[in-house]
Amino acid sequence: MVDDISGLFPFLVLNPFDLIDLPARDWANDLVNWSVAIFRDAFRAYVSPPVRAVMEAFQWVLSTIPPLLFLVLIFVAGWLAASWKVGLFALITFLLLGFMGIWDQLIVTLSLVATAVVFSILLGLPLGIVCSRSDRFAAIMRPILDIMQTTPPFVYLVPAVMLFGIGNVPGLIATIIFSMPPIIRLTNLGIRQVGAQYIEAARAFGSTPGQILWKVQFPLALPTIMAGLNQTIMLSLSMVVIAAIIGAGGLGLEVYAGLERLNIGQAFVGGLGIVLLAMVLDRITQGLGEKAPGARKTRSD
Amino acid sequence: MIRVEGITKVFGPDPQSVLPLLEQGKSKSEIQAETGHVVGVHNASFTLKTNQIFAIMGLSGSGKSTMIRCVNRLIEPTAGKIYLDDPDQGARDVTGMNAEQLRNMRRRDMSMVFQHFALFPHRTVLSNVIYGLEIQGKDRGESERTGQTTLEMVGLGEWSASYPEELSGGMQQRVGLARALATEARILLMDEPFSALDPLIRVQMQQELKKLQSDLGRTILFITHDLDEAMHIGDQIAIMEGGEIVQIGTPEEILVNPRTEYVARFVEQADPTGVITAHTIAMHLPGPRFHTVREDSGVTYHARKGYEDIEYGIDRSDKLHEVLINGNKVAVEPLAKILEQHASSPFIRPRDDLVLTCQRDAVLRELLRGRVCSALPMIVTNADGGVEGIIDEAELISGILEKRGEVGAEA
Repeated sequence: MVDDISGLFPFLVLNPFDLIDLPARDWANDLVNWSVAIFRDAFRAYVSPPVRAVMEAFQWVLSTIPPLLFLVLIFVAGWLAASWKVGLFALITFLLLGFMGIWDQLIVTLSLVATAVVFSILLGLPLGIVCSRSDRFAAIMRPILDIMQTTPPFVYLVPAVMLFGIGNVPGLIATIIFSMPPIIRLTNLGIRQVGAQYIEAARAFGSTPGQILWKVQFPLALPTIMAGLNQTIMLSLSMVVIAAIIGAGGLGLEVYAGLERLNIGQAFVGGLGIVLLAMVLDRITQGLGEKAPGARKTRSD
Repeated sequence: MIRVEGITKVFGPDPQSVLPLLEQGKSKSEIQAETGHVVGVHNASFTLKTNQIFAIMGLSGSGKSTMIRCVNRLIEPTAGKIYLDDPDQGARDVTGMNAEQLRNMRRRDMSMVFQHFALFPHRTVLSNVIYGLEIQGKDRGESERTGQTTLEMVGLGEWSASYPEELSGGMQQRVGLARALATEARILLMDEPFSALDPLIRVQMQQELKKLQSDLGRTILFITHDLDEAMHIGDQIAIMEGGEIVQIGTPEEILVNPRTEYVARFVEQADPTGVITAHTIAMHLPGPRFHTVREDSGVTYHARKGYEDIEYGIDRSDKLHEVLINGNKVAVEPLAKILEQHASSPFIRPRDDLVLTCQRDAVLRELLRGRVCSALPMIVTNADGGVEGIIDEAELISGILEKRGEVGAEA
C-alpha cells in the first residue's frame, strides 16, 4: 500500500469519491425502520382514526346528497363565492362528468381533497400564525417547508405505506403533508404584510395582541391566506391522484387503473375529471379570496 | 393635563449608551457618526393644559411624530417622564405604566388620529368608528348608537354602512376623527391629521376641529408641518428643530418674538393677519407720543403730536368719552358692529366722520377690514372698556411688515 501511494496520488485528486463511502442508503433505511418501529402503532392508533373519520363523514355526506341537489348546491356555491358565471361553469362541469359515468369517483376524490384541506387548514393556519409572530420559529420552519415542498411526491408514499399501510388514509397523510406548505407560508406572509399603520392604530386604541391579530391582522391577511388555500387545494388534488398508487380511490385510481391496463380512454376520462375539478375548485376559492373584506384597500395605500 | 418632562428618544441598538454623550452636548450628527444611533427627540418638555390645543410644529425629521408617539408610548421614550394629570386620580406616570395600565390609558384617556387616516379597510365606516368601544368589550348596540351619533357630529351620518375606500380623503379623516372621539377619551393626539388633504378641505377641517373642540372640550396635541395651520389651530405652539423644542409660546408670541434664526425664517413666511393682535401694534395712549391738550369736567383731552386736529377725550375711569375733530364730535362705533353691518357690502368708501373701537385681542385681519370703513385712527380698549391706545395706518402697515422675523425683538 505505502509504496503504491505515488501512483495512487493523482488518481486520488482527480476522483476522490472512492475514498469515502457515505452510507446514506443505509441511514435512510435505518431511519425509516426505526421510526416505523417506534411510531407505527402510535400513528395507527392516534393519527389514522381522525383522518379516517373526517374522510368518511365527507364521503357519507357527499354521496348521500342526491346528484341533482348536489348540482344545485355546486351552482349556488360558485355563484356566492365568485359569480353566476363560475356557478354555471361548475354546474356544467359536474353535469358532464356525471354523464361520462365518473360521478362516484368524483365524489370520492372531492371528499379526499376536502379531508386533506381540512387538516391542512387545521394544522397550517396555526403554524402560519406562529411563524408570523416569531422570527425564530419562522427561521426553523422555512427549511422544513422547503423539504416538504421539494421532495418528489412519490417519495412520501413509501414511508406513508410503512407507517399506515395501504388505502385511503396513508394517501391522505401524504397529501396533507405535501399540500400544507402553501397555507403556512402565505398565512405567515399575509400577516406580516399587513400595513404597519393599521397595527399602530389598533395599538393606539388599546388593543391587546390577540385583538390586533383577530380584528386587524387576520382579516387583512385573509386574501393572501385564501391564495394559500387555493394552492393547497390544487396541490392536494394533484397528490390525491398520485396517492392512487398506494390504494387511494377516486379519479386518481381511474387514471392509474386505465394506464395499467392500457385503457387510454379510461385514463383520459379520469384525467379530464381531475382537470375540470381543479378548475372549478380554483375559480371558487379565488372568488372567495377576492370577496374577503380584507381585499378592500383605502385610498391612502 | 399632560406634563412632558425631558423626553429623549434615541433609535439604535443601545440607546442608553448615547445618553451621556447627549449630556456632554454632542450634536445629533456627531452622535450618529460616532455611534450609529439616531436621536429622534432630545430633552423635550412641555405642558398640555386642559381644553387647550397644543400644536407642535416642525419640518420632517424634526422629531415631532416621534414626540407625539412617545406621549402614548407607541414609541418607547429612552429617557424622561410623562405625567397624566387626572382630576380624580392625581398625576399618573405614563412612562412607568405596565402593558395593561398602558392599554387602559389608551382606551380611556387618549385616542389618536393619523396622517394617513389608518382606517381599517375591511370594516365599514361605523365599525371603524366603534373599534375603540368594541375592544373595550362595550355593548354592541349601545356602541353602534354612540358611533352613529359621533358620525353625525362629523357630518357623515349617512355613510355608516360604506367602506373607507368609497370615501374621499377628507371624509376618511372625518371618520378617523369620529373614531377618536367615540371613545370619549379626554385627550386627542393628532399626528398631522390634515396634511394629506387638499388645501380647501384642510382649512374647512381646521375650522370644524376648532368648533368641535370648543363644543366637546377635548384637550388636543396637534402635530403639523404647516406654521399657518399651527397658528390657526394652536392655543400654544411648540416649534421643533432637529429633535429639540426651540420655542414654546402663543402664536403671537412666536410671530412677534421668534427666539432663533430658525423660527424667524419660518415666521417670515407666516400670514400675520390672523395672529397679530391690536394690543401688540397699538400706540399707547396716554404715552410719549401724545400730549394733553386740556381738561374739562373730569375728561382729559389728548392729541397725538403732529395730529392736533383730532382730540381724544378720556374720562377718569380710562373710558373713551368722545372724539373731536377740529372741535366737532364724531360718531364712535365698535368695530365688530360695523363689520357685521357691512359684511355683505363689497366696497365702502372709508368714512372720515366715524371712529371705531376694538378689543385688545382683535386680530390684524379684522382691523384691516375696519380700516376700509373708517379713515380715522381706531381706538383699542381692554376688556373693561378702558382705552389702551390707538391704531393708525402706520401701525397697521408695521403690523404686517415689521412685527415679526426679528430674533429676540421686544413685543
